[in-house]
Amino acid sequence: MRLGEHPILEFKKGKEVTIYFNGKPIKAYEGETVASALYAAGVRIFSRSFRFHRPRGFFCAIGKCSACMMEVDGIPNVRTCKVYVRDGMQIRTQTGTPDAEKDRFAALDDIIDRLFPHGAHYKRFTTPRILREFMMKQMRKFTGFGNPPKAVYEGKAEFEEIEADVAVIGGGPGGMSAAIYAARAGAKVVLMDENPFLGGQLVKQTHRFFGSGRHRAGTRGIKIATILEDELKELENVDVRKETKVFGIYDGVVAAVQKDEKLLKVKPKKIVVATGAYERTLIFENNDLPGVYGAGGVQTLMNVYGIKPGDVGLIVGSGNVGLILTYQLMQAGIKVAAIVEAMPRIGGYFVHAAKVRRLGVPIYVNHTVTKAIGKECVEAAEIARLENWQIVEGSQRVIDCDFICVAVGLSPTHELLYQAGCEMKFVPELGGLVPIRNKYGETTVNGLYVAGDVAGIEEATAAIMEGRIAGVDAAIKLGYGGDEAIKIREEVVKDLEEFRSGPFGERIVAGLKKVVVA
Amino acid sequence: MRVAIIGGGIVGLATAYNLAKDGVDVVVFERKYLLYGASGRNSGGITAMLNNERLIEMAKKSMKIYDEVQSEIGFNFLYRKDGYIKVASTENDLNKLKEEMNLQKRMGVKVKQIDANEVKDFIPDFNADAVIGGVYGEGGVIFPWPVIWGYAKGCRELGVDVKDYTTVEEIVVKDRAIDGVKANGEFFKVDFIVNAAGAWSNEISRMAGVELNNKIIKEEICVTESLKPYLDPYLLDVTTGIYLSQSMRGEIVGGIVGNEVESIDVKGSLDFLVKYAKRAVELIPKLKGLCILRQWAGVYDEGKDIPNISTTNVKGFIQANGFGKFGMCLAPAAAIEVTRLIRKT
Repeated sequence: MRLGEHPILEFKKGKEVTIYFNGKPIKAYEGETVASALYAAGVRIFSRSFRFHRPRGFFCAIGKCSACMMEVDGIPNVRTCKVYVRDGMQIRTQTGTPDAEKDRFAALDDIIDRLFPHGAHYKRFTTPRILREFMMKQMRKFTGFGNPPKAVYEGKAEFEEIEADVAVIGGGPGGMSAAIYAARAGAKVVLMDENPFLGGQLVKQTHRFFGSGRHRAGTRGIKIATILEDELKELENVDVRKETKVFGIYDGVVAAVQKDEKLLKVKPKKIVVATGAYERTLIFENNDLPGVYGAGGVQTLMNVYGIKPGDVGLIVGSGNVGLILTYQLMQAGIKVAAIVEAMPRIGGYFVHAAKVRRLGVPIYVNHTVTKAIGKECVEAAEIARLENWQIVEGSQRVIDCDFICVAVGLSPTHELLYQAGCEMKFVPELGGLVPIRNKYGETTVNGLYVAGDVAGIEEATAAIMEGRIAGVDAAIKLGYGGDEAIKIREEVVKDLEEFRSGPFGERIVAGLKKVVVA
Repeated sequence: MRVAIIGGGIVGLATAYNLAKDGVDVVVFERKYLLYGASGRNSGGITAMLNNERLIEMAKKSMKIYDEVQSEIGFNFLYRKDGYIKVASTENDLNKLKEEMNLQKRMGVKVKQIDANEVKDFIPDFNADAVIGGVYGEGGVIFPWPVIWGYAKGCRELGVDVKDYTTVEEIVVKDRAIDGVKANGEFFKVDFIVNAAGAWSNEISRMAGVELNNKIIKEEICVTESLKPYLDPYLLDVTTGIYLSQSMRGEIVGGIVGNEVESIDVKGSLDFLVKYAKRAVELIPKLKGLCILRQWAGVYDEGKDIPNISTTNVKGFIQANGFGKFGMCLAPAAAIEVTRLIRKT
């Protein structure tokens, strides 16, 4: 299930190692995550749902969901999509009896549901006391996800305090640009990202970007990530911390954990939050079945780790992500059965749509997926035609596929902003909950800026410009950069306005009107 | 007779439930939602291993009432009686625990002294080097949310009007006696007002013209990701004030006994997380490496008397607050005292 030849990407395999999955040896290569190694070895069920023992598999691939949580070397609840393989690693599924792949209780779901429906643990078997206490004991046996830890975790417990002018959270296009522009103006910057690499989701964007020359048009996303990282490397006043998870902002102090072993207490004068977004899913029958993936998850699997998600895919959503993904799948030699789109027209750019059409992939507008078919993983999908958003009875038909990609958009990763106390607003045009801010990205929390998808779902080009504005403005407010910096800031602001002035920017501009205050 | 109860926490609802069983017309005012206050934010430790006779008596009675009330209302509070351990790491604290234990034993509480190694009989992964000894006794963990939901259900079934998101704006006093209460713009004529507003009791008391100087205490708690059954008893380290237990959902719920604060604030802090994590992994080294899912803070009040159940110089204005950190342990029995006090006046 690994990709060999690829027209754009070259997969350098690391050293071969052996990992053990529920006791079985599996071959893997250094540099890949546990989840992707398991997937390459054909493992589809990663866990079982808590109540109904439903099989759950690979989904987001970027540590945002919990479907891939397993026990790794005796440590429970490890998101295996974020952990890299090591020789001799012991991996166990933690839900299901005896394991997640063959869960005996899955057969009893209907009976459990009838005897013990949702909420029954409070309302049934409450009297007499003897029965209640007996039931409590039985219930407790079934609670909990992870196995109790078997080993004492080896990570060191170090502590470091960092003083900086600007702390940037998130090393995607927005965050990197903020760091570069703040540092160029003269500010001391610390840039943190939870991944071992910078670039955020650019690392899986093999397509060329649009826009004018200034916006790096014609450059592939993966290349943009490298260019930005090179720019960062030239700056001595940027401290880059990879594998560093920020977990809270406490009265202006940014708290993070580096490489799972060091607590960082960053005391910056300004903060730029550029945490990006996560994928939405869609409600349909069996949408939790292994084989139903987020589009980004599939891109990660294929473009970062060189692993085939399956043989034939169905794409749900014809926005740019859905269209580009289709093209990327075909580049990797994977068949795409169809693209379904609930709207009456294709959502993405015409050029992308034309490209996949030329390759013979049908795009069904006014259609949606109604059901994933399969027992333990996707074996086919049922789609249906929509009229006024209602399913037309009799229009259902089955599409042969072994995976379904849900590409129905993103939601801002807003949690950190909430925790920090930013005033938030729900703006559908921007993808969900976004912070109130001024035109430079500063939120209602003094000195806290946003840039990129967390400020509203757009695309990498806009994220880069928002990052530049936030970074340079933070530096200006700290007295760096002088008139030159102010000139740069106003130029980028104008640039971004121009970029959004086309027909594709209308929605964004309408959304921004609701949250950008003077 | 009509009684208004201010505060929809465990004290207010348990009092309302008892009054309603006596046939009294009761209305409960909660400014936010049920569970907003300390009753929805605590860790649910239940024990009668307390330090004076009144508290021990009240806690013992409350443990019994919890059993009865769950059957009466038909609601499971997920009250898991797997014991309560107090450990100490200084001689001074250990001696205090022993003294208290003697009192508790005299009053019929099942409790025994254990040495550091014996803690492992109850928590196999416990690090015996982290403490010098402790006591183990009856008690356990209750899930505070169904306690509140259950009492609220019981109240409503008895005709109590439980009003959430209802702010008390004015307490009307005529001739040093309660006349009524104005809430969300509406006037309610009542004979009694019970001030069960927890950390907000001082404010409410002031509205009735009664000075009350309960201390405000802020306490923080966090939970880890969920594990299969791992920790049975509730563990409290009296020297550092750190406690932890496992909820029925499998999360390790733990915190640090709170400190007095000037004003009410429920923001979580980094200092708490660091201090808690450090001591928690000293006590149980295998907790190291677990992820924290959530953290939060809550506020409660502590009276000169714990708890403060009394009449005031305004006729009909009853205090039922100042429970300190023992609200969940004492409220069911305290509610009966409040009911009696109302009946007597």
